[in-house]
Amino acid sequence: MEIFIQSAAQISIQNPLCEDWFETPIIPTLPYNRSIEPDYKQFILPIASRRMGKLIKRAIATSLSALKQADIQELDAIITGTGLGCVENTEKFLSAMVKEGEEFLQPTFFMQSTHNTISSQVALFLKCNGYNCTYSHRGTSFESALSDAFIQLKLGKIKNALVGGQDEMTPDYFNMLGKIGYWKTEISPEILQTSNSNGSFAGECSAAITLGTEQKEQSLCKLHDVELLYKPSKERMQEVLQDMMTQANISSIDAVMLGISGDQKNDDIYKDFAETFFANKPICWYKNIFGESFTAPGFGVYTAATCLKKGIIPQHLRYNNIQEQELRTILVYNHFQNKDHSLILLSKC
Amino acid sequence: MEELILELKKEIIEVLNLEEITPEDIDTDAPLFGEGLGLDSIDALELMMLMQKNYGIKVDNSEKGKEIFKSIRVMAEFISNNRTK
Repeated sequence: MEIFIQSAAQISIQNPLCEDWFETPIIPTLPYNRSIEPDYKQFILPIASRRMGKLIKRAIATSLSALKQADIQELDAIITGTGLGCVENTEKFLSAMVKEGEEFLQPTFFMQSTHNTISSQVALFLKCNGYNCTYSHRGTSFESALSDAFIQLKLGKIKNALVGGQDEMTPDYFNMLGKIGYWKTEISPEILQTSNSNGSFAGECSAAITLGTEQKEQSLCKLHDVELLYKPSKERMQEVLQDMMTQANISSIDAVMLGISGDQKNDDIYKDFAETFFANKPICWYKNIFGESFTAPGFGVYTAATCLKKGIIPQHLRYNNIQEQELRTILVYNHFQNKDHSLILLSKC
Repeated sequence: MEELILELKKEIIEVLNLEEITPEDIDTDAPLFGEGLGLDSIDALELMMLMQKNYGIKVDNSEKGKEIFKSIRVMAEFISNNRTK
């Protein structure tokens, strides 16, 4: 059974709910960046959205947008990956607890401070009683959610799924991560590409993609496989890559989408991967325009799927200068702290 | 009393995050629940916390709560007579 990415939508530090980033990206210059918010009133009535934190509103807006693009009326599953959940409300709730004790805790912040609030609020909004699950696996949360959807579609348990990657970056959390060297002080495309220092820049992620078993005119690409590996050896990685390509009947990968972010410690792993398995292949990146977040790999899949649909890779997503002969397959590779690794194989419809 | 009513309206707008509603939009004598502002049971919990935190009034009886939260004016009168803060 073939699986297709039917549609995708994003709210990020790029212009929201559109593909402006493909031709005219916003170039980040600061280490801390919040998402650009769309007008939520076109999706949610103010009276319904008043209890929703920013992340919930973003999740609903991207979900509705992706479902509309894919023309999905009946949704079988909502699966969300989130590293931190609704951390803004968690902070409000915990701060109130520290300041006021346990007597004056506001119920709304408590209710919306859990990780699985996102998936459940989307389900309530869509009136979807289907499978609902949340994966909170830090840097591989999105891929875990995608893997769940992929397996269920392959097994025929569902016919379509909405998969989200949702994370926000609060000022406090940004500052905390800064203390352990997560961020650079200066950001530019040149610095991100040539820096020998650790740290990158922060973004926020709200990516929603729909999957289905039926190819449609608007389908973005085929999703052949999702593999999650824990501390794989090079031999194991080679074996899995070969298996993925054999299963998909693909003889060659045309481009590789990596989570390179300008953080030398992380980027060295990606460069080693590229040199070992994909020397002389076009290497692409996406964190240079979307920033770093636990679910940023959601943007990796989103950008790769968009490139396949359009048939080109824009210059600002190219990390090296090697050109592909044709663009039919993209492998998305991500790792988190060189422990959790993910491989996602996509091809043109 | 009018000062307290205005203060209360502002606090309710803030705590319930009533976007695009100003104190002038809230009818002082209209029911808070069902009609009027159309608040629900979670809002009732938020209002109970507001009463306790800002005015030192603990509302732990739901029947009593129904009476107190009848309208902004009723709330303000109850606060005026029972506040400890």
